[in-house]
Amino acid sequence: MIRLLLGLCLVLGAGSASAAETGKPLETLPMQDGGRIKPFDTFARETLQLVYGKKSYEGKSATEVVFTWLLIPDHWMTTPFIEVRHAGLKEALKITSDERWLTPQSLFTNERLPLVIQELQSLRERGEKLNPYQQAVQRLESQLGLFQAVRNGTALRFVPNPKSDRWLAVAELEGDLKDSFVAMSKGFVEAVSGDQAASENFMTAVATFIDKARAQAPEKYADMTRIGWEQHLNQFHPFKWAWIIYLSGLLVLLWMFSGGPRWTNSLSWGLLVGGLALHGYGMGLRIYLAGRPPVSNMYETVVWVPFCCVLLGLILERIQKTKLLLACASTVAIFCLILTDLAPTVLDGSLQPLEPVLRSTFWLSTHVLIITLSYAAFFLAFAVGDVLLFFYLKDEHKFSVQIQAGTLSIYRAIQVGIVLLAFGIILGGIWADYSWGRFWGWDPKETWALISLLGYVAVLHGRLVGWVKNFQLAAASVVGFSLVVMSWYGVNFALGAGLHTYGFGAGGVEYVAGFVVLHLLWVAYVSTARYGSSKKVTSR
Amino acid sequence: MRTLKPPFNALASLRLAIFIILSMAALAAVGTITEARYNAEVAQKLVYQSVYMYTVMGLLIVNLIAVMIDRWPWQQHHVGFVIAHIGIITLLFGAWLTQKYGVDGTLMFEQGQERRSVVTHDRQLAVYSSLDGNSLRSIYETDVDFLTHPVSPEKPFVVPLGSDEMKFIQFENFAFRESEILESSKTRDGPAIRFQLENPNVNMTQWLRRDSHSRNGEIDLGPAIVVLADSPPPPNGRNAVVLVPNSTQTALDYVIYNKDNSVRKKGRVKQSETVETGWMGMKFRLLRYLPHSKENVSYKVSPTASPLSTSALRFTFQNQEYWLGLDSALRIYLADRMFMVSYGHRQLELEFPLRLKKFSVGMYEGTERAASYESLVEVPNLGQVTISMNEPLKFQGFTFYQSSFEKNEKGEPVASILSVNHDPGRWVKYVGSLMMVLGSVILFYFRRVKWLSHLSK
Repeated sequence: MIRLLLGLCLVLGAGSASAAETGKPLETLPMQDGGRIKPFDTFARETLQLVYGKKSYEGKSATEVVFTWLLIPDHWMTTPFIEVRHAGLKEALKITSDERWLTPQSLFTNERLPLVIQELQSLRERGEKLNPYQQAVQRLESQLGLFQAVRNGTALRFVPNPKSDRWLAVAELEGDLKDSFVAMSKGFVEAVSGDQAASENFMTAVATFIDKARAQAPEKYADMTRIGWEQHLNQFHPFKWAWIIYLSGLLVLLWMFSGGPRWTNSLSWGLLVGGLALHGYGMGLRIYLAGRPPVSNMYETVVWVPFCCVLLGLILERIQKTKLLLACASTVAIFCLILTDLAPTVLDGSLQPLEPVLRSTFWLSTHVLIITLSYAAFFLAFAVGDVLLFFYLKDEHKFSVQIQAGTLSIYRAIQVGIVLLAFGIILGGIWADYSWGRFWGWDPKETWALISLLGYVAVLHGRLVGWVKNFQLAAASVVGFSLVVMSWYGVNFALGAGLHTYGFGAGGVEYVAGFVVLHLLWVAYVSTARYGSSKKVTSR
Repeated sequence: MRTLKPPFNALASLRLAIFIILSMAALAAVGTITEARYNAEVAQKLVYQSVYMYTVMGLLIVNLIAVMIDRWPWQQHHVGFVIAHIGIITLLFGAWLTQKYGVDGTLMFEQGQERRSVVTHDRQLAVYSSLDGNSLRSIYETDVDFLTHPVSPEKPFVVPLGSDEMKFIQFENFAFRESEILESSKTRDGPAIRFQLENPNVNMTQWLRRDSHSRNGEIDLGPAIVVLADSPPPPNGRNAVVLVPNSTQTALDYVIYNKDNSVRKKGRVKQSETVETGWMGMKFRLLRYLPHSKENVSYKVSPTASPLSTSALRFTFQNQEYWLGLDSALRIYLADRMFMVSYGHRQLELEFPLRLKKFSVGMYEGTERAASYESLVEVPNLGQVTISMNEPLKFQGFTFYQSSFEKNEKGEPVASILSVNHDPGRWVKYVGSLMMVLGSVILFYFRRVKWLSHLSK
């Protein structure tokens, strides 16, 4: 019956950007996917992100695009929108084109694909680690699988099933429900090419379908308030606004540094607090929706750490009156939040259900929250250190006041970081003892946290002996952060060993390594330059 | 006393402390890389429990004590420093207690099974002897660790057995088992067949061998079993192909049973002949028949750990070479007696048994993703207790944690795995940790006061 719509839908296939709002009523249509109930909007964005690599397609919303996979699959079969970027994979599939996107048709008929997937399958059966090429194969497999499952309606579970936990997919609908779904689909098609009245009809059709779906098993159906909030989170994207506000705060700060009027002081404060509020609002929404603290995967920590960083910066600034702290904290926040937008495949922001061992949230959350809080302190020290190195390179006498103040900030931040990290490691030990029966097991994640701690403790002891003076402290705060990067990111993404497997991911290793190496080179460069100039001074 | 000063100063020096801290960090980093390359056990044995690590830890304790003596008499601003340093020593002491007196192992049982034996991480080598082939007598047993004490043909590990000796000459931590079935000239050795089962959906080829000391060899293929036997065994309610050698040496007698124990078919089959079984178009083809066969087991070295690899030992005994895999036993038959050599994880018997009543996996709604694991266990004097992830059972000094479970081919859970733990150092470590954190906070607070007064000057 759905097939009947094919002719009508060709209109849509031709595509008109003016219809951007047509799919709106579908966005809050609840569905079951990935172990939870979510709005169709979320599913569509996640799906399009995986398949196409972006959250919208040529100006059309994810909701509309993904919904039309179901309505006009033949159109999509010949549209190049399956993202394949890995050169090795293209070679393995004997694909010569340099295009970033390929048509499903060409992939489904590719003779080499079954072999390549077979190979992956046997690797997975042996439980071996996947290299980037195999990960690319795995991604392609899920891209095609997901497109297929949307196309034939098996992935779209819109109706609760009174007999089972598994909701009914579009393909399984019968009788009245099926008719209602078809009516809704028809309404959508008419709304695309039609007028205001058609849009209103469509809205009514969606509401009718929702009512009928709910009537199947009201107690299992979605909480529409929650669905609404989630759609709002997707739509509003508070983290983007947060970094924009942080950025304007940073610009005002820079203006103040270069002799801006007095009111820029309060304005920068206001902007940063405003950014923090939005940042916190976004995290609050995620906590409400996921029902757990925001630290169970890489994405969540990359959002949480800059929040703590700004908070810590604001607090330390109140104590030490060092505006530099604010500039550094906001830079860290802007950097992290832009990163989450730029690298959505590495930093996957989708709300995922937790592994069983993580479900006792109290100890888990406490130890991760505290450890990541210490990362924030070290991140702040790192940023200040970076700026101080710049001052040293320019002219350490001219900037001696800033350097003195900055050193104190670094010192304070490292102290805060050490206490938090030590405490967090111990809480992690208590949690591990409580749920696995061992306090300390040399697991790579905990070991690297310990290595970071030892590194910073060595720096503080070095200061007592007089080995670490102001310059060395700035340099150490930059070098030391490499250890934090290793324990925060490296263990999960580069090392890939140990019990913290639920945090494992892939991608971005070369960029993160580049970031670390560049900073080490930067420290080496400034040290050499400074050593050279101090020699000149003494020889004079 | 004066002459003691310089070496003591060196032991109490901050420079030594920094050296120790950095060495520990470097060793730990090497450990994590070792773990990523091999596995956690190798990293533990070769790095974290190595002489280097123990030396550094020992130096750390000496340094911590020396520096505290050096600062005597302590003043108010030393409070944090002393508490933190005593905390670290306490923590290390607790860790030592755990290492020395703690128990860490796993207990696996199927639903309905009662178990009391806990498998530990230690490995054990044992030799048993038997004169009649049935009653085994233990004649040698020891804990072995070939990872930290490597063996070679030049420096073998020798097990004396009366006038003879077994020489263990090679240890491979990661190896794949390979087995080869060959024709044997000894008439005592049992037969072997290679067969194929085929229909439009299934096509499998298998070896099946009957050991000279057992009456049957059997392969369970799920819907049906294939049996190679001395004489036809009684049917046992399953679809079965039973093959019995006869005097011809070139052909086998076969009987095909139905589930209801009725005989479906009987006959004789020669090498490379096919028999229609009559189940879903399944054909049975006899590819190879060896009236007398032997199995040659060897291990191929694997450069890295993989889920399919296992540890293996090679040893010589009476001019013969043998391979022995981890958690397996090998029987060696001599003219007058039999030896059984076993290499496996040491087992520890609990004083009380546990019985698994039920194991269940909870899934996230509408998915195959596990949300929780739960074992319902019967404990003596306690009755039925549920052990789930993050909800362990504490009983008689032991703690039982839900660790994981075993699945069958269909993915259904068949057995629950608990991790069993006894840790006498637990509270010592907790106290040490608390002191360490508390000490650092106090320490930094005083340093802040010092710094601020320094700045205001």
